Amino acid sequence: MRVRLEGITKKFGPLKAVDSVSLSIEGGEFFTLLGPSGCGKTTLLRLIAGFSIPDSGEILFGDQIINHLPPHKRETGMVFQNYALFPQLNVFGNVAYGLKARKMPREEIQSRAQEILEKVQLKDLAHRFPNQLSGGQQQRVALARALVIRPRVLLMDEPLSNLDAKLRINMRQEIRKIQRDLGITTLYVTHDQEEAMTISDRIAILNLGQIQQTGTPSEIYFHPENRFVAEFTGTSNLLEVNVLSYDLGKSLLHTEFKGHQMLIKYPQQPPSRALVIMLRPEWIKIVKDEKENRINLFQGRVVSVTFVGFMVKYQVKAFDDQLFTIDIQDPQGYEMKREGENLFFRFDVDRPVVIAS
Amino acid sequence: MIRKYLNIWNLILLTALVVLFLSVVYPLFSIFRASFLSSETEQFSLENYGKIFRLPFYLRCLRNSLWVSSLATILSLIIGIPFGFFISRFHLPGKPLIKTLATLPLILPTFIGAEAWLLLLGRNGWITNLFHSVGIGLPTIYGWKGIVLVFTLQFYPYVFLMLSASINSIDKSLEESARNLGGGPWYVFRTVTLPIVTPALVAGAMVVFYLSIENFGVPVLIGEDFKVLSVQAYNEFISEMGGNPSMAGALSMVLLFITLLITVGQKYWVERKSYAMSSLRPPEITKLKPLGTFFVWFFCASLVFLSLFPFFVVIVSSFTKTQGPVMYFGQFSLKNLANALRVTPRPILNSFFLATAASLIGVIFGLAVSYLVVRRRGPVTFFLDMVIMLPLIIAGTVLGIALAVTYNKGTIVLTGTWMILVLAYFIRKVPFSIKTTSSILQQIDASIEEASINLGVPPLRSFMKVVVPVMLPGIAAGAIIMWVTTLAELSSTIVLYYGPWATMTVEIFQYMGSGDFGPASAYATILIVSVIIPLFILHRILGKDLTATL
Repeated sequence: MRVRLEGITKKFGPLKAVDSVSLSIEGGEFFTLLGPSGCGKTTLLRLIAGFSIPDSGEILFGDQIINHLPPHKRETGMVFQNYALFPQLNVFGNVAYGLKARKMPREEIQSRAQEILEKVQLKDLAHRFPNQLSGGQQQRVALARALVIRPRVLLMDEPLSNLDAKLRINMRQEIRKIQRDLGITTLYVTHDQEEAMTISDRIAILNLGQIQQTGTPSEIYFHPENRFVAEFTGTSNLLEVNVLSYDLGKSLLHTEFKGHQMLIKYPQQPPSRALVIMLRPEWIKIVKDEKENRINLFQGRVVSVTFVGFMVKYQVKAFDDQLFTIDIQDPQGYEMKREGENLFFRFDVDRPVVIAS
Repeated sequence: MIRKYLNIWNLILLTALVVLFLSVVYPLFSIFRASFLSSETEQFSLENYGKIFRLPFYLRCLRNSLWVSSLATILSLIIGIPFGFFISRFHLPGKPLIKTLATLPLILPTFIGAEAWLLLLGRNGWITNLFHSVGIGLPTIYGWKGIVLVFTLQFYPYVFLMLSASINSIDKSLEESARNLGGGPWYVFRTVTLPIVTPALVAGAMVVFYLSIENFGVPVLIGEDFKVLSVQAYNEFISEMGGNPSMAGALSMVLLFITLLITVGQKYWVERKSYAMSSLRPPEITKLKPLGTFFVWFFCASLVFLSLFPFFVVIVSSFTKTQGPVMYFGQFSLKNLANALRVTPRPILNSFFLATAASLIGVIFGLAVSYLVVRRRGPVTFFLDMVIMLPLIIAGTVLGIALAVTYNKGTIVLTGTWMILVLAYFIRKVPFSIKTTSSILQQIDASIEEASINLGVPPLRSFMKVVVPVMLPGIAAGAIIMWVTTLAELSSTIVLYYGPWATMTVEIFQYMGSGDFGPASAYATILIVSVIIPLFILHRILGKDLTATL
């Protein structure tokens, strides 16, 4: 089922929780709304579930406008942040709840509940009550309960935020696998950028009720369209540079940053003289021999070194007072610099991303 | 636009507002209007208020009301504060029992307490006669002394309960850090503990004052010539029945003004001064030296004994041979009880029927209103929440008069039917039901319901299927509290009942008036038992204390 939002606005008092949001989720797609708390992502999800009605704009399931369809007729399956399991019903009772509401014959309820419980690996716990289950198990019940009614859309509101880090990674893969098996259109809400990157087909990044960017995880990571997206989707080094000239033949921008020349690959005439460029920490290399390649080569002083295991994180100060974060991957056998030491670093001309001026 | 507001819960909201308008707002407006009518010309006039503030008789009623209520409040604080501290801070033998028994007077009808003290210290009382036989005259219990005695012994538990709840919410580390900064025990008590518990003490004092000033049964039974506002309003109303109830209305308005003032003052002051605290480590309970323990224990135990002794006396009296006002203590007889249960059971059945009807309506209404107030926050439900708590500040006599005045003529005539009793009970007690159900509803996450709706069950059915089952203990507790307090209701009943619908409380009141202590005690005993058994069940099955709901 394709889900479309067209110019959705929802106000709470004077505050626009959702501000003219339009997006389209394709059938079978795993789509994530990513943003900081208070950005409107949960409000958007609840609008789709029907728990509130938009002030303007349209919500479409397929070609049907469902703005005023009451929530119990929307055929969406929602997984709540706190799971919202019915405490007085056991696992089977919880899973069968939606089927009973649809007045299905008893045998079909049995077989469908069995099938979904098997899928989420809870077959043996069907008679347990929610308070006898671990967090991960409750999560599976909530998922099974939402899936068993074969909803048109699966809606998930920060479903993993109450689990510990390890379990979260396991559940994330499991959810993804089940979603692929069933081919169900899924809208997922999270504030965790890593979670969003690993689980989604596409992501919409929200801030202050507005969509900042929509795209696949790699599009968003490698080509953020603005400062907010760049900073929210991972660590980024942002530099405000001035354009000196543009070489159309080589597609090269000559820019200047605090008196130092920087060369940046860019496909067209720059939109303005002042630009912001972004560099991910792992795009910058630390160079042993400063003579090897002098393009975009700069000197800095180590402010701090953090050994993470799979990488070493440097904070380096350069150009008087500009801090750079630089990640060195796979540091085995690598000779770490110490605080206060000087070093040279460089990046290739095709790495920097120009984000709006 | 209409479509947006047309749903089942808004329909329920509308119904609730209409019910409240008809049962509280409009009746209050009716006596308010009546109080400005001249009793002779039926024209607008201020003569009733003029009388109250000029005629010595009415001024004395006002002064009397304020005097007994203030005195009862001060005495309740004097005994409730040490009691509360002792219970919360010291190891005492048999503490759970003392605590449970100490809260018992709260649900026992005050006018039965008054009856018991008359049995003991009245003109023909057991103790009076005992002292008389050895030639000693005792001071009279009639008048303000007796009223204050009964009020203090029955209302001090409020001070104790609110105080100990507040003490137990103080995190231990708070006092520890004060000690660590160099404060001695008394200094810490004065500068840390006391300021924190003061709002609770003020709240407790206000409750005692309110209950004292609105009380009808105690002053009417032992006040004799000492008239208070609630009693005088009733007298005016009864003597003017069929005529013009404007004087009763004006007295009611004065009483309402005082109770309103207290409530507003409490809300304003207590809320401004309250410190919200989530206690992680409750304060330590100290073990005193044996002698200290004994004295503290003796104080607490004798206070509990003194407050419950009257009810014991009433029960004993009901098994005693009587002849009119003469009690033959020591001579066992089942005559009075048998009479009440077999010959004239109608008042008992009336009480049970009316209480059950009012509680059932109250539970359903309370559930709906709780839901609206907790889950559908908005300006309209906020207003609903305010109006629904209004009956808590209206004296029973005032509400009774208001309903009688409103529904004795016009399109809806209820005065002189049993339905008006049910209406009065329902509206007077429904705040208890709402308090219990809404506090439990607040603990149930809204997403449970949304999950059910999301799975295809319409909103109202979702509420019934997944929320109500979880709320059942709270609903049951609210229902039982409503039921037992309705059973003990005298002040509104006495205004509204008519012949065949006399309740147990009316019978007790009338037998007391004519000096027939035997039948009065029999009904009182049946009433006490009917009140205690449900509360005992509530305590055992649900593990809920009545103190949590009152």
